Amino acid sequence: MKTVLICPAIRRMVPELAENGPLALAPILGEGIVSHWIEHLAALGARHVQVIAADRADEVRAVLGDGARWGVELTVTAASVEPTLAEAAARYRPAGETGWLPSPHDVVLMNHLPGCADLPLFESYAGWFAALLEWMPQAVTPLRMRVTEIRPGIWVGRRAHISTKAELIAPCWIGDQAFVEPGAVVGPDAIVEDRSVVEDEARVTQSWVGPDTFVGPLTSVASSLAWGNSLTNWCTDSSLRVPDPFLLCSLAPAPLAAKPVTRAAPASARAPEPGMNWLPTWPTANQPPQSSNPPT
Amino acid sequence: MNISEIAELTAMNSASFRDEVHAALPGAPSVIEIDLSQTRFVDSSGLGALFALYRATAERNGVVLRLLNPRPEIQQLLELTQMQQLFEIVQR
Repeated sequence: MKTVLICPAIRRMVPELAENGPLALAPILGEGIVSHWIEHLAALGARHVQVIAADRADEVRAVLGDGARWGVELTVTAASVEPTLAEAAARYRPAGETGWLPSPHDVVLMNHLPGCADLPLFESYAGWFAALLEWMPQAVTPLRMRVTEIRPGIWVGRRAHISTKAELIAPCWIGDQAFVEPGAVVGPDAIVEDRSVVEDEARVTQSWVGPDTFVGPLTSVASSLAWGNSLTNWCTDSSLRVPDPFLLCSLAPAPLAAKPVTRAAPASARAPEPGMNWLPTWPTANQPPQSSNPPT
Repeated sequence: MNISEIAELTAMNSASFRDEVHAALPGAPSVIEIDLSQTRFVDSSGLGALFALYRATAERNGVVLRLLNPRPEIQQLLELTQMQQLFEIVQR
């Protein structure tokens, strides 16, 4: 079965989400939006997926590869402008041809997450955040086993490090390889994406922390989207570039020409200090569970 | 006492801002208002200057320190650092 997937290009209401890459790759609970959609369409029987990307198609192509991960044949087609559903159907889906997923899954515009058409992702930051919260219980699938629900409404990445002195309040999501340090509070309604660090005594409530983001000690991220040094209040749509990296900054590898952030970089790379009381390190193939430190 | 027309509070001017306000404190009335409506940029040095003023006024019984009309992004920075808990913030 075939399907066409249209990537969103520009969305005026949520420019910060496209700062670090095309919207199709904007991270949602450990995966880009497009990955959630391909997995969904593959589960419906799609075997050939044509992705139409008008924004940074090369980056989309590099991330998706040939689709083998989902068991599909996948091609990424660059477009000069984002086609509408009707335009894409006319151009890429020959009328009367069989072998296509039934409508509306034959041509899909990724303006929402699968099954969440009533929660548009890109009309406002508040809408984006509401859609993520709604999607949280559905985000762990057989193909995405890096995160486990350790208590009702609390999902934690298998390689996340959470201090026993940290507090997790449901519903919340701690991504893979994330750090939550002593005294930190995450939740309710909080998402900390992969490889991010929530430092000592920091609070993340009703907020989304994007991947590779450092949340400094004693800070409070509330009703906001924090990604790198960008902080956007989803209630007011106000955005701020935080000037001081010890408050909020990116931990993503800097381009070779750029100067590294010396304070924050070691935090993401460090292992728990000896003598610190850490929650699992969830069991992995090479590491037995730490039974002396049960989840709280 | 009303302090206004602060374009920015950064490492470049926070020390002089702090010193000038400190110098005026002994004769200051019971309410000190810092108008941030024209302040477009504050960094950690500026936050430090505001915190120093908070401490100085806290030592003087009955003195109220108000921040007036901070722009949304400055309000965000105050909330991120939890400094909004220290000040009375007023939008007029």
